[in-house]
Amino acid sequence: MSGFDPVLLAVLASRFESIVREMENTLVRTGRSTVLNMSKDLSCAIVYRDRELLATGNGLPVHVIGMEALAGAVAVLHPEMRKGDAYLHNDPYRGNTHAADHSIVVPVVVEGEHLFTAVAKAHQADCGNSAPTTYMPNARDVYEEGAVIFPAVKVQERFTDIGDVIRMCRARIRVPDQWYGDYLATLGAARIGELRIMELCERYGASLLKEFVDAWLDYSERTMVGVIRELPAGSSTAVGYHDPIDACPSGIPVRVTVSVDPDDAMITVDLRDNIDCVPAGVNQTEVCAINNAVSGVLNSIGGNVQRNSGSFRRINVLIRENCVVGSPSYPHSCSVATTNVADRIVVTIQRAFAEGWPEHGLAEGACGMGPSSSVISGNDPRRNGSPFINQKISGCQGGPGGPATDGWVTYQNAVTSGLMFRDSVEIDEQKYPIRIGEIRVRSDSEGAGRRRGAPGARISFGPRFTDMEAHFISDGVRFPPRGVCGGGDAAPSAARKVLRDGSEIEVPPISAETLSPGELLVHHTGGGGGYGDPLEREPERVRADVLQGFVSFEGANDRYGVVFQRAVLADTLAIDDEATLRRRADLRQKGTK
Amino acid sequence: MLRISVDTGGTFTDVVVLDAAGRLEVGKALTTPARVFDGLATALETPARALDASPADLLRDAELLIYGTTSATNAVVEKKTARTAFLTTEGFPDILLYREGGKPDPFAQIDFPPPYVPRYLTFEIRERIDSDGDIFVPLDEASVRDALALARAQHCEAIGVCLLWSIVNPQHELRVGELIEELLPGVPYTLSHRLNPVVREYRRASSTVIDASLKPLMTAHLEMFEDDLRRAGFAGELLVATSFGGTWHPHALAAKPIYAIGSGPSLAPIAAAAYVRAELDTNGEAANILVCDTGGTTFDVGVVVDGRVTQAAESWIGGDRGTGDIVGVSGADIKSIGAGGGSIIWLDSGGLLHVGPESAGADPGPACYGRGGAKPTITDAAVVLGYIDPDFFLGGSLRLDRDAACAAISEAICSRLPLSVEEAAAAAIEIATVNIVGAVKEITIARGLDPRELHLVGGGGAAGLNIVPIARELGCHSVLLPATAGALSAFGGQFADFVSEFEQPLYAETRDFPTATIEAVFARLEDDARAFLDGIVTLDLESSQIERWVEARYPGQVWELPIALSGPLSGNDELRALERAFDREHRRLFAVDDPGQHLECLSWKVRATGVSAKRPLRALRRGERDRGVTTAPAFFAETGLVNTRRYRPGDLKVGEAVAGPAVVLERTTSIVIYPGSAVTVTPLGNYLIDVSAESATAVPAQALERSGT
Repeated sequence: MSGFDPVLLAVLASRFESIVREMENTLVRTGRSTVLNMSKDLSCAIVYRDRELLATGNGLPVHVIGMEALAGAVAVLHPEMRKGDAYLHNDPYRGNTHAADHSIVVPVVVEGEHLFTAVAKAHQADCGNSAPTTYMPNARDVYEEGAVIFPAVKVQERFTDIGDVIRMCRARIRVPDQWYGDYLATLGAARIGELRIMELCERYGASLLKEFVDAWLDYSERTMVGVIRELPAGSSTAVGYHDPIDACPSGIPVRVTVSVDPDDAMITVDLRDNIDCVPAGVNQTEVCAINNAVSGVLNSIGGNVQRNSGSFRRINVLIRENCVVGSPSYPHSCSVATTNVADRIVVTIQRAFAEGWPEHGLAEGACGMGPSSSVISGNDPRRNGSPFINQKISGCQGGPGGPATDGWVTYQNAVTSGLMFRDSVEIDEQKYPIRIGEIRVRSDSEGAGRRRGAPGARISFGPRFTDMEAHFISDGVRFPPRGVCGGGDAAPSAARKVLRDGSEIEVPPISAETLSPGELLVHHTGGGGGYGDPLEREPERVRADVLQGFVSFEGANDRYGVVFQRAVLADTLAIDDEATLRRRADLRQKGTK
Repeated sequence: MLRISVDTGGTFTDVVVLDAAGRLEVGKALTTPARVFDGLATALETPARALDASPADLLRDAELLIYGTTSATNAVVEKKTARTAFLTTEGFPDILLYREGGKPDPFAQIDFPPPYVPRYLTFEIRERIDSDGDIFVPLDEASVRDALALARAQHCEAIGVCLLWSIVNPQHELRVGELIEELLPGVPYTLSHRLNPVVREYRRASSTVIDASLKPLMTAHLEMFEDDLRRAGFAGELLVATSFGGTWHPHALAAKPIYAIGSGPSLAPIAAAAYVRAELDTNGEAANILVCDTGGTTFDVGVVVDGRVTQAAESWIGGDRGTGDIVGVSGADIKSIGAGGGSIIWLDSGGLLHVGPESAGADPGPACYGRGGAKPTITDAAVVLGYIDPDFFLGGSLRLDRDAACAAISEAICSRLPLSVEEAAAAAIEIATVNIVGAVKEITIARGLDPRELHLVGGGGAAGLNIVPIARELGCHSVLLPATAGALSAFGGQFADFVSEFEQPLYAETRDFPTATIEAVFARLEDDARAFLDGIVTLDLESSQIERWVEARYPGQVWELPIALSGPLSGNDELRALERAFDREHRRLFAVDDPGQHLECLSWKVRATGVSAKRPLRALRRGERDRGVTTAPAFFAETGLVNTRRYRPGDLKVGEAVAGPAVVLERTTSIVIYPGSAVTVTPLGNYLIDVSAESATAVPAQALERSGT
């Protein structure tokens, strides 16, 4: 164990993780917008000095991996950091994910030395974009995008706000009180982290903690080495497609090549063979390109590795200048860098693993931020017409099947992988002048498989009193999540609108819709793709799917070849074993023809 | 007249008998789930012998019997509850499936948990009420009749009804209730707005279906228990423990059986408070106490602040957030982690040492039980270290195999780490300690409490193994470990108050505050509270209290903080005072506040407490010095292997102090006095450990001078 006391190693690792959990708890409990306090679109981390990611708690993969870059940017721009400083950082060209993620970076200075950095990141309800949404899919460049950018700007000195910076935000961010409340919550989280790290330094001393960091990152790396050595050598290329956008009318191809070298214990993900940056907001930032590639790898090789720089030394992500999947060239917009194309990077890597390494990888899961994840805005007549803006998170898009497990039902999208929470219908309706029409499982929307994807949902909502805007960026309408290793594709996502007369019409999948009272925006959310041959799925599991409403009787018959004695939704539902055998033989024969 | 308190756990039934003079007797027997009374009768044999009576005599002489049970918890965890139908608003049949989202780990692939009520027993009711209580879609009674016909056809034994916004306008839920009584007479049901009137449909719905699913079982269970008691001659008042850490009458619990979940562990803080009151000088102030209860599979921690058990509505059952179902009702805030005596010690692929959460359980149990368990546990580590006398475990009733414990640790740990078997065992105790300390910090620091300012009380069979290092890690100076640590919850039953809460959600802001409306709400709630308190028959009430609370938040927040109200919010001064109290609480908990903001008030609460007259405690009987102090080697990280004195309860007199290293072998727990700490036997025969003592004399003198009677 490289000389460091193995017991103290476990003890200190646990202490750092506890601190991050306390930071997360603070942010959730005190945030003002539901995107924070209900959906938990936030993450916290502790960075060693300005360069090594040390502890990440239960942060969203797309947020926390690469958080050390934020600390690095602060260190470069402010070499004179002092105790009591805090920095507001959302610059996508200096290590942040996208402009709507406001990060608060607090250096922990011990005896004059910058030893750790506490980082709290929170997705904002608004970030001052030119349209009322935190995602600008069609912004030609950063100027059209319009977000107010803070390149690691000092926002507190001696633990006190710098009023100039606060006023700049208040001047340009919609519903400034909501922003300020969220700022306080994020700051509070970072300060709690700082305080607890200081206590740890007092107790154990800086030099011991330095030794610990080295030993802990080495241990994490060793674990990762062990995992990679179990994999056969090989290489696999897969291509996925994001749905068409204005700038790319036939869709955005995402090509990944994954190579595993067990001798060197390295996994390499090559993202360079992709198109150049596009004049739209979907380009990946550098940190998103890397963290989504790492997520795709970790999803594919199992969960038992530490999420820190030590493990990540063993994953090499190759990117190039001016590429849609990173890194971007200025002034291209990266407004949507944390979802959509990002989701496609994750799921396409999973696919490459599934195709290249038996019993590894995952199918493709649901992607994008369709109508059920709209940023909604308008005025609330119940509160004297005061303005509101926020992203709704339903969390009901389906996860992918894997070698051993079915898809996670509240997956939301690939980059968050089920970690985010969901809005409550009642809290949403209390806070915003909306009515939610329904949220229900969408039967037969899952990709069938030996392990099936999770189903999508049917979700609708609309304004109660006055017009409301809803901005969304669907994916999976044209290119739904695909199955792997014989697993089926999920049903496509669909964006619709119910008019006042009750008729339902299609709306563009990427759109800003104005909704009037009596109208409903409807999202048929996507499911996840299946893993393996659905005809090998245990009939008992198919029976449970039918009873749960995930799969219809027809779906069970057509896609899984499972026949029941009598089509009744009750626990008396019984499988007809012989008919199932016959039906499966038939389907296999048809499949081979 | 006697008071008998009973805690029926999954494995053991603990009973505590207290007479009017404060004499305490404890009994223990195996639980008899089919007829819990039988286990109680057996458990009463030991105290009966001590009091020269029969168990039947004790029951006849008892004026009060307090009963805590895990039967509701176990029924839910083991999925043995009633077949329950769920009726909900059309369009939202998957509330129980989707829950609140969240997944325990981003990269681990796990199957999604099924909903508490399967979809084929979930029925959509055509109706819709808006957030302000307006009816958007009137109740379609035909949809209710159809649902109930289907529920009947599927032989449902209970029904949970949760409609959107019933907390603002209960009209539709009430009508559904009437239709259930008309169409399915006798089938128990629960209406969400009556059980748990909180905003957030998932939490309310989950409470509602769990509650309904427990009704048939708990009604039968409580009736049978009471019948058995009466037949045995018990003529006193029967009270049952609730998750509040208080008591109710059985009929009240049968009507809201969800409050039985977690009722056993919620009594441990009550016991701790009673011991601290009796044993420590708190300068006449209500004590702040940290209670650590370490059993075979879990470590449970709770907190008493200003004399009251902290409450929360965040407990999940059958798993955690993301994998279990939320209980959703308010109750004692007890956090539980897998760090008990049976927790397994293991190494991961990278060579990092872990303890738990997996447990060896009672069967096969730890390796030293010699029942085929091969994986080392904390109990094995304690045997290896010399902290448990293999010949005096549970008073000698189970002989332990030290060689098996050594072999298990050697095989699992020493084969891959450069540690001796004793070093590995000590490391495992240290890791378990860190896990416990992490859990304690989550329940204290995250709630704005500094553990260094709390009195630490240990309980449970495995508490004594590492309570000293736990106290040191937390910065606590002393630990009180009752001699009856193994029956802490049963003991707590003796001191439980008669407690209930009444709540009415009604949105208001501290600007344009509707004083008259809120006063009317409180008037109604206080009527209910008084009616509840009037229900007490024989329990001596020392006093009764009715307190007001508001659940409030800053504009835009969604998680409320409870703030106590000292009186009516009748004017500007009172409202500003409330805002300032909220600012303070917010800053205390979260390090930031936003002064000058108005508050959003979500819900109005009244808590009624019938404070039971606490009987004084007298010293436990202590045996004669039975065989003299022995010594045996024990291993401590600071000293290595040292000869260590082993005391049996009879070896130590009241007031006697012993410096570590030493081990006190109580019948139900081993108390390890680490080097540098010291233990003193208190006037009541309990153990007060000074974790930082230079010598035994460092124990605070006032604790010794106080008389226990």
